Formats: sequence, structure tokens, C-alpha cells
Amino acid sequence: MPIAFCSFAVIVSMKGNAFNIGAEGQLICGAIGATLAGALFRGLPAPLHIFLCIVASALFGMLFGLFPTMMHRFRGVDLLVIFLLMNNVAEYFLQYFVLDLFKSQNALVPSSRAIEKTAELPYLIGPPYRMTIAIILVLICAVVLTWFFNRTVAGYEMRAVGQNRQAARYAGIPIGRYTTMALLLSAMLAGIAGGLEVLGNYHCLYTEISPGFGYDGIPIALLCNANPLLAVIGSVAFGALRNGSLAMQAKVGISSEIVNVIQGSLILVIASNYFIRYLLNWRRRAK
Amino acid sequence: MDDILSLLLSVIRLCTPIFIAGLGNMFCERVGVLNLGAEGMMISGAFMAVLGSFLTGSAWCGVLFGLAGGMIAGAIHALICVEFGGLHAISGLGLTIFCRGVAKFMCVAVFGSTYSPNVQAIQTTELFAGVPVLGQWLKQLSPLVYLAIILGFLAHYVIFHTTFGLRVRALGDNPRAVETAGIDVWKMRFIGVFICGLLCGLAGAYMGLGQLDRYFDGMISGKGMIAVIAVKMGNWTPIGIAGTALLLGIFDAIQLKLQISNTLNLSPEMLAMVPYLAGIAVLCMKKKQDGRPMALDTIYLRNRYKF
Repeated sequence: MPIAFCSFAVIVSMKGNAFNIGAEGQLICGAIGATLAGALFRGLPAPLHIFLCIVASALFGMLFGLFPTMMHRFRGVDLLVIFLLMNNVAEYFLQYFVLDLFKSQNALVPSSRAIEKTAELPYLIGPPYRMTIAIILVLICAVVLTWFFNRTVAGYEMRAVGQNRQAARYAGIPIGRYTTMALLLSAMLAGIAGGLEVLGNYHCLYTEISPGFGYDGIPIALLCNANPLLAVIGSVAFGALRNGSLAMQAKVGISSEIVNVIQGSLILVIASNYFIRYLLNWRRRAK
Repeated sequence: MDDILSLLLSVIRLCTPIFIAGLGNMFCERVGVLNLGAEGMMISGAFMAVLGSFLTGSAWCGVLFGLAGGMIAGAIHALICVEFGGLHAISGLGLTIFCRGVAKFMCVAVFGSTYSPNVQAIQTTELFAGVPVLGQWLKQLSPLVYLAIILGFLAHYVIFHTTFGLRVRALGDNPRAVETAGIDVWKMRFIGVFICGLLCGLAGAYMGLGQLDRYFDGMISGKGMIAVIAVKMGNWTPIGIAGTALLLGIFDAIQLKLQISNTLNLSPEMLAMVPYLAGIAVLCMKKKQDGRPMALDTIYLRNRYKF
């Protein structure tokens, strides 16, 4: 499910005429925020605690996205470059955080302190499926985003900025403000993705919390033409590919590396959409 | 004195792959194709180089294999971005995932584990051993380092002093004008991405055979991305890229040194952040980027794909 939130994050940034490639770093920071909130607050009732943790993860993700966004807006720094650098910083900070700062004393694998029981997301369907209420949050978020982009003034203006800067400027829409807003909103969503991964899945923080979820979001966002509802389906497919590879390795002995090959070729095919359309058209013309 | 010189050598060793891959990326971006697949090209180059050295027993054959590996990855990127008019960023990211998967899979298939055995490498240059005073230091660097320095001058000459270079620069700013002048835009873009693939393959070969003598998964560890960043920070010129690569190399070397000696009593993870933080700081101090090719990351579609 974190993939779904990452693809939402990329979608939002794409609508606002920017490209959030830093979802990976924001996801990590969101996970850190959720872990802190989950482990440090004690004695709260469960729903309130979960809510607090999600808010914390969104806040951490946004704060992490704030610096590059501001640098982009006021100093004209290339977004791509600074986001990629920030991703690396986040990754090392996560290692520092897990191995040093917030280390668990009694764990076999290096991990951070576990979050309180009250902060864990309740199961919708119990083990072995381990389906938490995160899925409902994903659906709600998809609907809210669709509503936001299609039914509100801010969403409409953000789309306008994304589709045609010049036209938007002539229409008197503050472009810089909307790009910044889209990036911050996108960072927030990426942060929530990390938070949900901690709250629902691991209940503590590992160094390998994200095997490239942030990067998975990008092809999905393009695959579904920046439509949040379709993105849910896309992320389920990508998630199945990832989890399926582990199961395949355990049961049949097929190397889990194959999933990278499949995913990579899938992305390469998505990238060459003009050629595929040409092929389809050519078939039609031949008839 | 010895300390400073060994630090200097380590700086040069660390910045060479960034510099070579950066030069390649410069060609790629100058013709207007964004290349986030540099990482994938380097992985492909490194793996093929080690494989070549393993099969033939000669390190230089390995380097040739590495070039071929980089070129294959470059050809995929060129096919998608130039011929099929795909989105550059997506193709690049996909290429990185694809190459990493294929390399790891092949590694397991050929060597039986994710680590390759030690192979013939070219870590020292015996040719320079006879140079007075500096000989003992110069011979500690791989010949590929000297090749990189030559390539740097060559790239500067090609970009700024030849017809080809002029066309490349024009293509990066306005492909339509270039086509009006009667130059085949797609062929030029193909050549640019090919050069990029070759140089990234060389950078990978250097990491596999010049720095180490084996391939293992995760070996490139973000060097390709740093090369992409170095191009932008270096303002799309070979000299700028060399400066950026040196800067990042210096911080990387200092960081490694501190990790080993542990004088400051900081955790290694904090120190590993230092080169990136330095990069961000430099980026934010700099004035607006004016060397950016205006047509970077734009799709120039062949007529038959338009409907």
C-alpha cells in the first residue's frame, strides 16, 4: 500500500507542474516521524494515537520536502538534483537513526524501538493476510484527491498550472505558490506512505524500510495518466509483483531478481508509448 | 606529507568514475536527452567488464567488454527516448532497475553467487614507475585515470572547437532550428546517447577493474546519480564537471578517512552524509543555472508517430 501513496504523491506533484522524485526520502522521514510519535507518546487511546502518528508522519515528510521546495522557488535550484541528493541524505540519516540514535536493546535484527501497541493499525482481515485498515485510507485518499482536482477551485487552478504555465499566468493564477503547494502536499502524502508502513506492517523501523517504493510511484503515476483512482489498481499490481517474487523464491526457487527485470522492462515499455500507439495504428491502417 | 599524498590519491580514485560518467552525461544532456539511467549504464559496464576479464583473462579485454555493456544500455535508452519518443526520466529510471536486475541475475547464473570471484584487474600503472620523485605515487593509479584526464581535454575540444560540437550544442537548445538547417536530429541524438553509454560503461569498468577486482550487487551505489548531479552543478562544461567531481571526491575521501581513524567520534552514517550535504550547500550558494540546454528533457518526435 505504500506504493499507492507514493503514486498519489507523484500524481499531485505532476498536476502542479513539478516532478517529485524525492518521494523516497520523504517516505523515510515520514516513517521516522511515525516511529517517534508511536514510541514516545504513551497511554493514549488507540484511535487518537494512530491519528497522531499519521499526522506526525505527514508533518515530517512535509518538513523534509520544505527545504528543497523553497530552494527551488527562491534560488532556482534544479528540483531533480536537490531531491536526489536529499534522498541520499535521508537514507543515511535513517541508518544513523536506526543503528545509533533510537536503537532497540533487545532485537535480533538491527531495528529501532518498537511503537506502542495503541499505535498499531488494527487488522481488517487478520494474519496470515495481515490486511490493515491502511487499504481504507488509500481508497479514501484516492476519492478525496479526485474530488479535490475536479471539484474545487484550488484543484482546478493547480491543474491549470500543470497543463499550461503561460495560460495560467495570464489568467492571474499565482504559479509559484501552486507549484510549492503541490510539492508540499506531495511530500506530505509520501510521508504518510512511510508512516503507514511502520504503523501497519513492521511496528518498528528497519534500515531497509523502503525497497524503492518512492521510485515505484513514478511509473504508476504515468501508467494511469495521473488518475488517483486508477493508481490504486496500478499499485496493487506492482505490490503483487514485489510480494509474489518473494513467495516464488521460497516455493519454486525462482530468483527474486527476476522481478527487477520484469519491472524494469515494464517501465521501459511504458516509456515508449508513442511507438506502441504507432504499432496499433499501423495494424489498423493495414486492414 | 605521506598522509596528504595518500589522501590526494584517494580523492582522485573516488572522483574518476563520477568524472567519466559525468562527461558522458554531458554529451547526453547537451543533445537534449535527460539521462537518469547513468546508474544502469554503469552497472552494465561494471558487470560486463568483470565478466570479460573473467572469460578472457585479460583486463584490457574486460574494459572493451565494459564499453560494449555500457553501449548496449545506452542503445536501449536511445531507442526509447530518441526513436520512440518516450519520457526520458521514466526510461532512465526503468533502465536502472532493469540493468540492476539483469546484472544480479547474470551474476548468480555465471558465478553462482552475488559476488564474482577476483579477476585480472588494472589497478596500477607500471609505466610511470620510472618517473623521478613522483613515480611511486603515479604508479598507484589505474591507467584508466590517465585515460579519463585525456578524455576530459578531448571532450572540451570536441564540444567547443569542432563542427560536431557546435551541432551538439545547438541541438540541446533548439532541435527545430537544427532540423531546419538540414541536420538529422535523431541521428545526432543517437550519437550523443551512444557516447554517453560508452563513457558510462568505461566508468563502470573503472569501478570494477580499476578500483576493485570484482563485481558485486550494489557496487555502484548511487555513483551514477551523483554523475547526473555533477553535470548540472558543473554547468554542462567538462571543466565544471571536473571541478564538481573533485569537490565531491574530496569530501568523500575525508569522510572515508574519518570513518577509519574515528578521531571525531561521530557515527559512520553521519559522516557518510557529508558529501551530499556539501553538494546541497554548493548548489544553494550558486547563482541561477544559465548553462542549461533549453531543450533538455523534451521529446522530438518523428513525423510518423504523430497523429
